[in-house]
Amino acid sequence: MNPPGSLGVLEEKEEEHLATPVIGPSIHSDNPQERIQARRLRIAARLEARRREALGEYLDGKESEEDQSKSYKQKEESRLKLAKLLLCGTELVTNIQVAADIREIHRRVEEEEIKRQRLEKLENEVKTSQDKFEEITMKWEEGKQKRIPQELWEMLNAQQVHCAGLIEDKNKLISELQQELKAKDDQYVKDLKKQSGDICLLLERMEEQVKNVMKTFRQELQHIEKAFEVEREELLTNNKKKWEQALQAHNAKELEYLMNRIKKVEDHEKQLNKQRIWDCEEYNTIKIKLEQDVQILEQQLQQMKATYQLNQEKLEYNFQVLKKRDEESTVIKSQQKRKINWHFALIDDKQFREIWLMNEEEVKDLISRAFDVDRIIHTHHLGLPWTAPDFWFLKNVGPISQQQQKSPTQILEEVLMEAEEEGAEEAASEPESYLDLPKQVSAKTTRKILMLLCDESGFLVESKLLSLLLPLDKSECYLLKLDAIFSALGIESEDDLYKLVNFFLKYQAHHSPPSQERTSLVSPLEKLDPQGEKEGSLVDREPQEKQPPPSPRLIHPNDVLKILEAFVTGLRKPRDFRAPVKLLKVVRDDSKDSAYWKALTTVIPATTLNLWDALYTALEKYHLVLTQRAELLIENSSLERQNTELQQLLQQYLDSKINSELQVPPTQVFRVPTK
Amino acid sequence: MEETQITPSLSVRSWSSISTQDQSSISTQDQSSTAGQASSTGPQPSKPSVIPPPVKSKGPSSGAGVRRMRRIIAEDAEWSVAIVPLLTELCIQHIVKNFQNNPILKQLPPEHQKKVLNHLSPDLPLAVTANLIEDESYWRRCCMQRWPVCHMDEHGGSWKRTFFELHLENLLKHFIPSTTDPEVILNLLPLCRNYVHTIRVDQFLPPVHLPPPLRGGDQSDSGSEGEMEEPATDHYQLGDLVAGLSHLEELDLVYGVKDCGMNFEWNLFLFTYRDCHSLAAAVKACHTLKIFRLTRSKVDDDKARILICSLLDHAALEELDLSHNLIGDRGARAAAKLLGHSRLRVLNLANNQVRAPGAQSLAHALAHNSDLVSLNLRLNCIEDEGGQALAHALQTNKCLTTLHLGGNELSEPTATLLSQVLSINTTLTSINLSCNRIGPDGGKQLLEGMSDNKTLLEFDLRLSDIAQESEYLIGQALCANREAARQRALSPSHFMSPATAKGPENPVG
Repeated sequence: MNPPGSLGVLEEKEEEHLATPVIGPSIHSDNPQERIQARRLRIAARLEARRREALGEYLDGKESEEDQSKSYKQKEESRLKLAKLLLCGTELVTNIQVAADIREIHRRVEEEEIKRQRLEKLENEVKTSQDKFEEITMKWEEGKQKRIPQELWEMLNAQQVHCAGLIEDKNKLISELQQELKAKDDQYVKDLKKQSGDICLLLERMEEQVKNVMKTFRQELQHIEKAFEVEREELLTNNKKKWEQALQAHNAKELEYLMNRIKKVEDHEKQLNKQRIWDCEEYNTIKIKLEQDVQILEQQLQQMKATYQLNQEKLEYNFQVLKKRDEESTVIKSQQKRKINWHFALIDDKQFREIWLMNEEEVKDLISRAFDVDRIIHTHHLGLPWTAPDFWFLKNVGPISQQQQKSPTQILEEVLMEAEEEGAEEAASEPESYLDLPKQVSAKTTRKILMLLCDESGFLVESKLLSLLLPLDKSECYLLKLDAIFSALGIESEDDLYKLVNFFLKYQAHHSPPSQERTSLVSPLEKLDPQGEKEGSLVDREPQEKQPPPSPRLIHPNDVLKILEAFVTGLRKPRDFRAPVKLLKVVRDDSKDSAYWKALTTVIPATTLNLWDALYTALEKYHLVLTQRAELLIENSSLERQNTELQQLLQQYLDSKINSELQVPPTQVFRVPTK
Repeated sequence: MEETQITPSLSVRSWSSISTQDQSSISTQDQSSTAGQASSTGPQPSKPSVIPPPVKSKGPSSGAGVRRMRRIIAEDAEWSVAIVPLLTELCIQHIVKNFQNNPILKQLPPEHQKKVLNHLSPDLPLAVTANLIEDESYWRRCCMQRWPVCHMDEHGGSWKRTFFELHLENLLKHFIPSTTDPEVILNLLPLCRNYVHTIRVDQFLPPVHLPPPLRGGDQSDSGSEGEMEEPATDHYQLGDLVAGLSHLEELDLVYGVKDCGMNFEWNLFLFTYRDCHSLAAAVKACHTLKIFRLTRSKVDDDKARILICSLLDHAALEELDLSHNLIGDRGARAAAKLLGHSRLRVLNLANNQVRAPGAQSLAHALAHNSDLVSLNLRLNCIEDEGGQALAHALQTNKCLTTLHLGGNELSEPTATLLSQVLSINTTLTSINLSCNRIGPDGGKQLLEGMSDNKTLLEFDLRLSDIAQESEYLIGQALCANREAARQRALSPSHFMSPATAKGPENPVG
């Protein structure tokens, strides 16, 4: 089990192995035999290496370096010692067995000897006893011949004695043998004891041996360990020494490097300092240069700023100018817009009206024709008196006008326009004035109230607007002012305007009793008005004009503000739940138009139509009869003419000469019809 | 059912966790009572002990109360405060519990198999476990539970094999013919046939006679009486058993009774002819048998011949041991014949009655044999004639390594011849000539022979009347040989087989 035993052999191998590459044949040799030889050697070397590896690595390590180290010696020593111990121990233990064996052999030899003697003895005894027995049996024969009882008795006695002798001999032998047996038994017991003693001894020795072996093994193990430790320590110290040497060398080198490094660092520092100084100088020059640049640039900047300010002022001025122009243009634009709006509406209205009138005219033409026809039918054919139907729509001329919603400004415009025209042609005479708002109040009153309002509530107009209005002419100025005032008061619709005017009047009525009559007079007129608008407009105007219009003087300018306040608070309430925005331009209500036009179509009632239908059929029949009659008349006349012609012919014939020549004149045959 | 099993442990836990003082004694008591309760109520009494919940395993240990409060105990890998065991644990418990009725093992994954095996009871019937469980640790537990002393090494290093061999041995030892049912052994046969390689039986009980024939004190007669009663004292017939064991390699039998004490009777130790015939038939039928030992069984020449006849031309037999019997020259002659008709490697006829003729016949067979490695003729009486014959044979034999001729009344002539053999022979490694009368001259001659020998490692010459000087010198030579052998063993470049040179060996006993 102890591997380093083969060390010597290995060493030889190693040498061989080392020697081969130096002296041995080369693979690169020219001689093929030599090359083969070389390869063989190589293979052998490889195999050798592999085998050694298999044997255990510990072989080729340390021990091949140090051929006979301490540990190896110790191991060898221990091994030999232990082997010896084991051998001695086993010998000691087996000694007992061997001793027992030899005792057994001796016993066997003795036993054999005794056995042999015993057998001899027994054989002798058998022989003698046989002789004796034969003697006795011979004597029996003898005895049979004896006739004398005494002799016989003697003989029998002798026989008895002999037999007893024989038996005694046998018994003696038996007892001897039994004694021997007893001795053997004793011997057996002794042997058993001896054997048990042997076994005890054996066990003892074995135990002792085990203990001994264990002890020695332990000791040897310790020795080996110690040896190994010593070796290890040596190795360690050696290595430590080497290590320290290496470390010292290393340290020295390190120091050298350090010195070198320090030198280099110093060099570099010097260089760096130089560099730094140079850099500083350069930096300063550049800095100065740049500062100069900065100053120049700042100067330029100042100049630029000055020019900029100049420009700014110029532009501001321009801006102001443009702004003013813009304001002017807005004013103009609004005026133009209003004008254009009004103009377009007027034109639209006019067109609409023209188309309406044209259509109406056409329709009325047709209706009058229809009425004519109807009348003719009634008077000529039926002989009935005809009365022209009287429908409202027949009297209608122009588009059906409802209470047209107009924006207060429009009304204002109208009012003011009218007022302007008034002076020229006393507009009251014009029947077809489309300004139909002042149903209760005259336009003049309204105008005056509005003028008053305009004068008194100038504070509602923006000052800017006022300044803008200055150059405009008076009526335009009023208009714009009122527009602004209305927007401030929240008056949006025509109704609101009326309300305002009414409010003024009512206020006036409440607060000035003398004017009450006037207003009371006005109010019944109102009630009459709505029924006959178109017709009544003429009638209405005259009394209104005749009556002096309620003077605006009655309203004190100081009251205007109060009235307005009251009006505004009153207006707010109903206004709150009204739709917030109303279109300025009121769309014309055309719901009645279709009815109107439809009514126009049905101007001839259904009964009349039925009548016409019946009349038509009757006339048809009559016409048929008349045509038949005409035909018959034609036929009759043609027959008459034929008759006359035929009579002429006959006459002719009768008058001819030939008749006279005839023997029988036809005239004689028949009677000539006379005419 | 699971709940009834778990709740007691829970109660123990909660109870003991409340009283965290040092009440380990009480807690253990409580546990034992709960365990008892579980065993009384539950259908499976062994279960709580088989898989104890982690707490229980700590029960009796000191400071258990303190430990219960802790979540982690670094030193204890199995410690866990999990109250409800895992489902796998429950399943494994169940499998373990019902293993006898429903053995589930092979279907489980390996780690669970291991758990199940660890918790299986060693008392499970062999019919369930024998052919199912291969796990060594389980069989180790079985062995340890049944036999306080058992050496696995003697049974091929397998615990399972150990268990079955010991079990079978036990049955055979206590088998009483015509009283014990032979089915007991034959029923075991299908279970153990694959695992039993060796049968070692050192006692065979004779049949019991109910009125025991008391023969007084005359023991010398008992031998002859034994002969007369022979048919009645047949022992168990091994035939069926041996035929059934497919791997049987070793038979080691002693026909005798152990520990009979004061009931000693000669007929307790009878190896009858019927026994002999049946054994011979059994051995002949067993083709796997390698080792056959029949010792201390009063085998005489005739019986030996019967046995050896049946062993002629046996295919596998390697070792025959008939030591401590009554074999004489005729038996030896039969053994010699067997040497020529088998591949026997070891022959042991120690402590028999072989004399010179027997030895001569053995020597004759040995001269041409190339299988026998070891021959033991200790405590015979072959004397010089036999010894010389053997020595002659060894001059031509190239196979024998061990020769034991201790206690054979050999003397100088044999020694002379042996010394010649020693100088020639290179195979012999061990010779024993102890307890002979070789004498000083013989010793000297042997020393001469040794001087030329480089292979002999052991040479026992104790108590053989040789001079101490020559014994010492021989010892020196042997030491040198041993060293050489050791080095040969370490360096395989030498052609010598290293098997024989394994260092110092104990002399063959």
